[in-house]
Amino acid sequence: MTAPLTTERLILRRPIPADWPVYRDFMMSERASYFSSSGDLGATWKAFAAELGHWQMYDAGLWAVTFRDSDTIIGLIGPWHPPHWPEKEIGWMMLSVDVEGKGFATEAARASLTHAFDVLGWTTAVSYIDPANARSIRLAEKLGAVLDKAATSPMPGTLVYRHERAAA
Amino acid sequence: MIPVLHTERLTLRAPTWDDFDAYAAFRGSDRAKFLGGPFTRAQAFEQLCAIIGHWRLRGYGRWIVADRETDEPLGIVGLLYPEDWPEPEIAWSVFEAGEGRGIAHEAALAARDYAYNTLGWTTAISLIDPANTRSVALGERMGCKFEKTFQHETLGTMHIWRHPAPEDLR
Repeated sequence: MTAPLTTERLILRRPIPADWPVYRDFMMSERASYFSSSGDLGATWKAFAAELGHWQMYDAGLWAVTFRDSDTIIGLIGPWHPPHWPEKEIGWMMLSVDVEGKGFATEAARASLTHAFDVLGWTTAVSYIDPANARSIRLAEKLGAVLDKAATSPMPGTLVYRHERAAA
Repeated sequence: MIPVLHTERLTLRAPTWDDFDAYAAFRGSDRAKFLGGPFTRAQAFEQLCAIIGHWRLRGYGRWIVADRETDEPLGIVGLLYPEDWPEPEIAWSVFEAGEGRGIAHEAALAARDYAYNTLGWTTAISLIDPANTRSVALGERMGCKFEKTFQHETLGTMHIWRHPAPEDLR
């Protein structure tokens, strides 16, 4: 079992079945309308099951982000790597708008990147971002990621932001 | 965490990444048309992850059905209960490589036996698209009786087939 990561304000741990109600409530709310599965209970449940399954298969995946003094999940951030993708991705989604604008996603993404490079042995990492997702682009830039126009995205139309080890 | 079952010709086991190409080819083909597909490889990846996560969330799930000798993946069979389902079901899908040999039947019998005799289920259904005549035929072969229609939000009209109860199989 992979040990949790601890940052100044956050804990990143493996997602567990008990995280489902928070994930569901966010995805079924209008605030999640920019996710494709939003509002569809079956698709939302399967997407959550996939987060758990990814961990089971790779012993890695998107970390559940929680505050240090509460085990309630506020976001999911970390590795996602289908076997047919050209590169490994660090993905993210915050599950609460109440916690936005305080740098929590940045703090968690930094910890996840450091872990990917130092523990998982990655030599590079990308994030695939919808060009319309300004908030996500801002996060990538804040992390020091650079738009890599030469890289191929497995999802047509998405931008490839490249993270370098030094930036993490 | 995911148990391994054996039948005369088959192994029912956990999915691995080595199964991904066969699974993605199936999900991307016309064979997935009764299941809401065809799907892209990215969707198939998430779906394969979800098959494994289902075990974590429910304590049961679906297996890769593999040739007992060669371990070649031939289909996906097992116990399925996503959040938008009316009740837990016994589900079967066969890849092209497993077609026409009674693979789904053999695996579905093992899955039903596991549900009744290991998990203690007292009843089970299978949800079948009425246009999927081969699947309907398998349901009938397993002794299922048509019960009623079920309207799924995205998959449309499905038929609920009820399996014989455990005591009726003894």
